[in-house]
Amino acid sequence: MRPVYLHGSAVSTTWRDASRSLTDLIFECVRTALGTAGISAADVGATVLAAHDLVDGRGLTSMVTAPAAATYLKDETRLGDDGALAFVLGDARVRSGSVDTCLVAAWGRASEGPIDEIAHALFDPFTARPLALTEIAVSGMRAARCLGDFPGYGRWRGAAAARRGVRPADPSRVPATAWPLRAGELPVWADVVAAVVLGSQPGPVRVGGVGMSTEPYELGDRDLTGLTALRTASAQALTDAGVDAASIDVLELDGLTLFDEALAAEAVGAAARGDGMSLLANSPRVNAGGGSAAGYCAPAMGLVRVARAAERLRNATTSQVGLATGASVVAAQVQAAVVLEGA
Amino acid sequence: MGESAAGKVPPLTIDGHWAFDYTYYAGDAASRFFAELANRRIMGTRCPQCLRVLVPARGFCDACFVETTDWVQVSPHGTLETFTILTTSFPGLPEPPLVVGYVMLAGASSAVLNFVDGIDLTDPDAAGTAMLGRPPVTARFKDVCEGRITDFVFTLDEPA
Ligand SMILES: [Zn+2]
Repeated sequence: MRPVYLHGSAVSTTWRDASRSLTDLIFECVRTALGTAGISAADVGATVLAAHDLVDGRGLTSMVTAPAAATYLKDETRLGDDGALAFVLGDARVRSGSVDTCLVAAWGRASEGPIDEIAHALFDPFTARPLALTEIAVSGMRAARCLGDFPGYGRWRGAAAARRGVRPADPSRVPATAWPLRAGELPVWADVVAAVVLGSQPGPVRVGGVGMSTEPYELGDRDLTGLTALRTASAQALTDAGVDAASIDVLELDGLTLFDEALAAEAVGAAARGDGMSLLANSPRVNAGGGSAAGYCAPAMGLVRVARAAERLRNATTSQVGLATGASVVAAQVQAAVVLEGA
Repeated sequence: MGESAAGKVPPLTIDGHWAFDYTYYAGDAASRFFAELANRRIMGTRCPQCLRVLVPARGFCDACFVETTDWVQVSPHGTLETFTILTTSFPGLPEPPLVVGYVMLAGASSAVLNFVDGIDLTDPDAAGTAMLGRPPVTARFKDVCEGRITDFVFTLDEPA
């Protein structure tokens, strides 16, 4: 199988820009990504798109939105899942030799829809929806277990939250909280588009390895703080790449809240069990741009993390290795991990 | 000379609303689980391969990918594995603040979600911190059960 390179990427993060439709935002971001790769839409062999009908408020949203992602008369794959999973499929398309260039795009526009209600509608109608469960509620339950089991989470949460930067004053950009989560630990909703160009020709960043894994749907069956799917996916990606977690220079970890990001750091092996929050508080290696506080909307975030990791590798003065992860709804049931290697 | 493509008009927005009615089929296993709740019994199904007792009861074990066989009644007593205090209001559901948590009932291998009632939430931090140590809880059935997950709630065995 052929090596795969990341040739270009773009991320746009806006909020309630009434001068642009969702398709305008997608078009502009994809065009920027193609530009950074130095190619045009005509050069794209295949596209893989991640979008979510409930988030977009459009039934079969990709029917409406795909043309803005350079799919005209192209080979197109649509996922109702996280953008990092779309990246893994795009990588497979190029690696297998079926196409030379693949565009991967993902988006979500939080300002158009009722995010709390969408996060409630995702859950099982028999056992979870009657109990008011949401994605933030699951993060709250993860956080409570961390505080109960690991002293480092309580000790370092303030310092880690302070690294996430200044938060917008607009209250509609922050979800209703779920104890023990504090405002500075929550995501900041945004209108997010990410696009990445993959190709078989040598480029500035090489895809070293990828992995995907799925946990049980039932939250009561899961190890909520162990993130088993992410452990499996990242172990696969690291093994593929022939690197160990300790040698990763750049970590871009997807998590809905600060606690989810800290647990992700443990799951990928960057921190020991119980030390994830300490790593977030103290290490510039992890989520240097602020993670979920820099703008969040599913299902774009895994691809945002890939694009941010690639940017950091391109800007590094030495050859470095990065790891990016992406988590799906419902409560990070599906996880993808990507190892990237700078030139 | 033609008009500019970027002619300035007020940006248009329109409101959208989805309200579709669905009928969800619970299936045999879940139907029996909920029917047993109406009898004030919490049931699990045992996987013949890994021997886990899965609660709520279900028709197959996803880990072993085999059908479950035996039906097992689990204890109403268990430990509060984790919980959160909800502040989001949804139409038709109880008003927040609400405590919801996962409880591992004695005899079960998976935790079950429900409300935890009777907690004084005047000081959420104090109430929450007091419950971090996996306290013992008991499932309490309502006076009138209708075969729904909301037929029972958990209460702490000792006040927090
Ligand atoms: Zn089994």
